[in-house]
Amino acid sequence: MRWVDWYGDGSLYVLDVALACCTLEFDAASPVLAGPLPTLHDRAQVAVVISGTVTDRLAPAVAAIVDGCEQLAGQRPTVISFGACASSGGPYWDSYAVTKGVDQLVAVDAYVPGCPPPPEALSAVLDDLVGG
Amino acid sequence: MISWAGEIVIKVLSENWLAAVEALQADGFHYFDWLGCVDEIGRSDHFRIVLVVRNIADGAEPEVLSCLLPRDDPKIDSVRGVFAGAAWHEREAAELFGVEFVGGERRRLLLNPEFEGTPLRKDEVLAARTGMNWPGAEEPEEMGDPGKTGASSSRRRMVPPGVPDPAVWGDRDASQAAADPADVAESAIGGRVRRRRT
Amino acid sequence: MICARECPSWCITIDSHTEPVAGLPAGARDRTRNVLDRFAIDWSLCMYCGICVEECPYDALEWVGDLTPPGSRAGSLVEEMVQPPS
Repeated sequence: MRWVDWYGDGSLYVLDVALACCTLEFDAASPVLAGPLPTLHDRAQVAVVISGTVTDRLAPAVAAIVDGCEQLAGQRPTVISFGACASSGGPYWDSYAVTKGVDQLVAVDAYVPGCPPPPEALSAVLDDLVGG
Repeated sequence: MISWAGEIVIKVLSENWLAAVEALQADGFHYFDWLGCVDEIGRSDHFRIVLVVRNIADGAEPEVLSCLLPRDDPKIDSVRGVFAGAAWHEREAAELFGVEFVGGERRRLLLNPEFEGTPLRKDEVLAARTGMNWPGAEEPEEMGDPGKTGASSSRRRMVPPGVPDPAVWGDRDASQAAADPADVAESAIGGRVRRRRT
Repeated sequence: MICARECPSWCITIDSHTEPVAGLPAGARDRTRNVLDRFAIDWSLCMYCGICVEECPYDALEWVGDLTPPGSRAGSLVEEMVQPPS
């Protein structure tokens, strides 16, 4: 997995689970390119952002990624459900193939509305929840 | 040969399907574009398999083959021996429409192994919306009489797009005969409010 | 009601009731008016298509530039927009 060192100082590492269009907004918000996760120091925090529609077929893989993050980082990451699809299934809630929100699979700490949310929404949530 | 959206469409009988595709490939149409399925219910009791190939060396205009299959037993030869790329398109049509491609690949492409049903058939109802109360069905209630909704008590309740009329699917009168699949497909359009032209 | 009907995501919940109009002149026919009880949008479903804004014949909805704030619990993205009368 490749992580974004969000503030450039090792205080927050963010992983994007890039499923659909919302990941383009993640890319727009992300200040730097992603890289491997280094050894975390004590005050470092980790966050996983689910960007896009979770399909039933991919749901086990998404859950496995979040679990894998916890093992890799040694701590439970903050989980951010980014955009309408990740939060509730969004406009595709009625589909035969869509999971109605990633919170059906993992505990979510923040639900960001939008279709897609603007990049500032992600920066604001990360600033509030985890950063500074 | 019929003209359809400006393209020439060649109608093929299912027994000639493989031969027709091989003939096109021999004729210079080496580029397989796509293969799809259309549920013609409501117009005729068939699935229509559509295949598009192109001759890149000669203008790349699409050449469209169309074949009608009976809805209750849709079987057609697989063309993956001619165009290997057709295998995925056939897998998708097979699992979403229930079409059998003889000699084709049997694995699922997009749906979970446990998934049951053929969701892109027009008579397969998207059950999620039928189970939910549609917020658009609300009409103002008369004060003091919560059981009676204002003007709509004398009108038939509207159903939203995508949800068949309860008389046709779902909560219907069990003593009536089962609904015709064409009726289910038709009624899924729902009753829409007419848009005001501004 | 039109907004709730036209919303493709079914994210608008609107409740209302009718009340008789008071103070009509003597001999006038009884009239009723609609009173809005509840207008809520579930922002976790809304896809910001704007159909509700376009369809309202009374221009009761408009676009605003603020960010919709995030929520921390499932269901916390439902925004109630009508205050009950005190």
